Amino acid sequence: MLVAQIPVARAANMPRVACLEWASAELVVSLGIQPVAVADLKGYRDWVVAPRLSDDCLDLGSRGEPNLEVLLKLNPDMIVSAHGYGLEGGPFAKIAPLHTVALYDGTGGTPYGQAESETLRLAERLGRETQAHEVIESTAATISRTKKMLADQGGSPLAVVSMFDDRHVRVYGRSSLFQDVLDRLGLINAWTGETGSWGFSTMGIEELVAIGNARLISLDPIPPHVKIRIEQSTLWKSLPCVRAGNVTTIPPVWPFGGLAAAARFATLLAQT
Amino acid sequence: MTVMQLTKTTTRRNTGIWLLPLLVGIPAFIAASLTISDLLRLLPTEFWWRAISNADFTDPRQLLYRHAFLPRLAISLLVGAALGLAGTLFQQILRNPLAEPTTIGTNAGASVALTLATLYAPWMLEHGREWVAIAGGTISTLIVFALASGRGFSPIRIIIGGLIVSLTFSSASAFLMAANREYSQELYIWQSGSLIQNGDATAFALTPWLLAGAAAAFLLVRPLQILDLADEGASSLGNNPTLTRMTGLVVAVILSAIATAAVGVISFVALAAPVLTRLAGARTLHQRMIWAPLLGASLLWLTDRVVQILPFLSEIPAGTATAFLGAPLLLLLLPKLRIAPHKNGDASSVFRRRNALPWLLAGLLVLGFFLCLTLAAGRDINGWYWATSDELGYLLPLRAPRVVVALSAGIMLAFAGVLIQRMTGNPMAAPEVLGISGGAALGVLLLFISMASFSRPAMFLAGLAGALVSLLLIAPMGYRKALAPERLLLSGVAVATMASAASAIVLASGDPRLGILLAWLSGSTYTATTDDAIIAGIITVILVGIAPLTARWLEILPLGIAAARGVGLGANRVRIILLVLIATSTAASTLIIGPLSFVGLMAPHMARVLGFQRALPQLAAAGLLGGIMLMLADWAGRMLIFPWQIPAGLLAALVGGPYFVVLMRTRR
Repeated sequence: MLVAQIPVARAANMPRVACLEWASAELVVSLGIQPVAVADLKGYRDWVVAPRLSDDCLDLGSRGEPNLEVLLKLNPDMIVSAHGYGLEGGPFAKIAPLHTVALYDGTGGTPYGQAESETLRLAERLGRETQAHEVIESTAATISRTKKMLADQGGSPLAVVSMFDDRHVRVYGRSSLFQDVLDRLGLINAWTGETGSWGFSTMGIEELVAIGNARLISLDPIPPHVKIRIEQSTLWKSLPCVRAGNVTTIPPVWPFGGLAAAARFATLLAQT
Repeated sequence: MTVMQLTKTTTRRNTGIWLLPLLVGIPAFIAASLTISDLLRLLPTEFWWRAISNADFTDPRQLLYRHAFLPRLAISLLVGAALGLAGTLFQQILRNPLAEPTTIGTNAGASVALTLATLYAPWMLEHGREWVAIAGGTISTLIVFALASGRGFSPIRIIIGGLIVSLTFSSASAFLMAANREYSQELYIWQSGSLIQNGDATAFALTPWLLAGAAAAFLLVRPLQILDLADEGASSLGNNPTLTRMTGLVVAVILSAIATAAVGVISFVALAAPVLTRLAGARTLHQRMIWAPLLGASLLWLTDRVVQILPFLSEIPAGTATAFLGAPLLLLLLPKLRIAPHKNGDASSVFRRRNALPWLLAGLLVLGFFLCLTLAAGRDINGWYWATSDELGYLLPLRAPRVVVALSAGIMLAFAGVLIQRMTGNPMAAPEVLGISGGAALGVLLLFISMASFSRPAMFLAGLAGALVSLLLIAPMGYRKALAPERLLLSGVAVATMASAASAIVLASGDPRLGILLAWLSGSTYTATTDDAIIAGIITVILVGIAPLTARWLEILPLGIAAARGVGLGANRVRIILLVLIATSTAASTLIIGPLSFVGLMAPHMARVLGFQRALPQLAAAGLLGGIMLMLADWAGRMLIFPWQIPAGLLAALVGGPYFVVLMRTRR
């Protein structure tokens, strides 16, 4: 049954790739290859959203413990993982050649630059260099197009946050992918505080006072009950950016993703 | 620091009245100084009143003052007072100096209820968490009481019951959160107990609850004191002891649940405040009811100010900090606490004895059968199948290490359980409550916090170091106090709490390596390699060789120290040797299967229930049972929600917790 559902595209010497977490899946799909299996499939569809995975993609289980027996039976041509998720390569490398995408690996590269070089490096392994260059160019083009659009709006400072509960926000800053995209768009990140090695910091909602009435971009998905309780919060209601009506919610973008996430972020910003 | 020194002087001089104000006043004074210095930086003094009565929110300073600074200050005082009062009630009613919402399972219940609601019924939380938390806290507390009721609420049974319920519930939470990781961020943050406020709504919501609780508590003072005077005679005095106790407990549960709902789990304030006030000379319940809430408020206030000036990237939540400060405090206090001696219910007479040998051989056959099952039966994307010998060729390298480490961990935990239960003469003892598992967990967690990347050997070493440190903490204390079993167990509770506080920090940090940490904490064999299997196997074989040599000691020790001396056994020396054996096997199994799992508790019990009374047969039977249990748990964990996996330790805990509940109930 599974075989019957596999779309035509795969028939043409498409490498069969399995992805152990979402950033690598994003990279693989953006190179025009639909992975045969991705870990935490439902999560990808909720939190990463694009680029879309095909409907017949299989679930590998959790990202912390991708199912080795499923991988073994699938016998993929390559397994792609990403740095920093704590998985040991050994068991996967025994099943198929393992490629590790080195985003946020602490080597000092900027996330955007790393996303470009890692897209190329993965493409070389998969023989998709042409597509890689296309992705790099189209992302750059999207960003410069967006930059022009945003230039008309004046480019006021903005801050990007995820909200998980009604008292804290995760704010993205230095050494985050979003920071790189903002830089390329000529936009100023209103949040200039310290961030960890993954480019974000979790802080109390009151610290958003620091961004004044800059625009606040909040990433979906926000749990509905959290949204309701944030809107009831007297502090939130009185924040300068909220009183100025400068809060925008944009659809999900994976903050730890690659070029597709960068382009998606830029496009969504332009649509606000 | 001040607090600890104070308690020392207190007990030495045993005077009273001036110490209590000092005990409350000094932390409050430091907290107030810190608060005022922060406030001066935030807002000029002339606005301090105006920003309350007539605030101008276009001024961010006034906004922060009115809707973040003041509510947070109020919350720290309110929650601290609520916890101090709840702890006083729990300790009084249960006659247990260590009872508090964390140790008797109330917080774990509130926590798991909120986890379930967040993931599966978020609409319940739209207008606040209070009712969900109260429901969860009530259920878990009832379970703990039901467990302990058999022996007139003996302190140790309450604490052990609370620990078991907490472990079961928190393992359930951990699994739910691991399976819904990105959806659980809210829970990670909430669990860590941050006092950050987003306005004054929570403070205003909490106030009436606290006032009502305080009023109810003070109405209960007299009835409770009468209970204290004459438990047996109380009913003849026209007092209904059960009703009084129940009312008091309801008040205490509600107070702790609303505090938990408001800010998450704040450990140890509810324990420390009443204990310290008692040590500082508050002899009567009436005094404690007044001073403990005050002390709770001042301690939490101070903690919350201190975490704000610590130089960390993300602020350490107050609830986590109290656990870090409170757990050592508990360790220091343990020698000072008088724990009423309880009878070691000699369970052995209850069950018939068996001729062990044939049964053990049969047990080996059963083990063999399950070994085949766990290695050969499985699922893939097409359904269930029994592996052919060809398939086994490539499946075995994946399955065998997991099966072997699960089997080894099960045997080691079971042995450790038999040893500690016989050593302490306490059938409710288990390596899980010794603090060695907690220490190993703590070591690994600190590695996570301090290092950007980590490897498996580093994890192993960190875990081993943690286990050894907690062993070193326990051993001298035990040496001084002739290894009093209760203290040994309770120090384990303290270490376990510190470990869970450390894990709360990592979880709240949103570190993307969470997944692997959660997997280990919940007892997964996923990362087991062939090398791990070989090492685990060797340690197990060595242990199986050594443990039987202690059989004679194990027969004599449960009879008591006098009996041991009588036959010329140096009780301390023997106990220390046993302690090292227990620690080694617990540490090794913790590194494999995480700090959770009740195998060390269950297997020795089941062995005895099945009739294996003497030390050697009990060791053998418990080893077989423990091994089979974890092996099956690992297999079921791989099968049940395929292709996702449930960690073996967690599954064993989820089955073992209820098993233990039934066991405690039936063994009155």
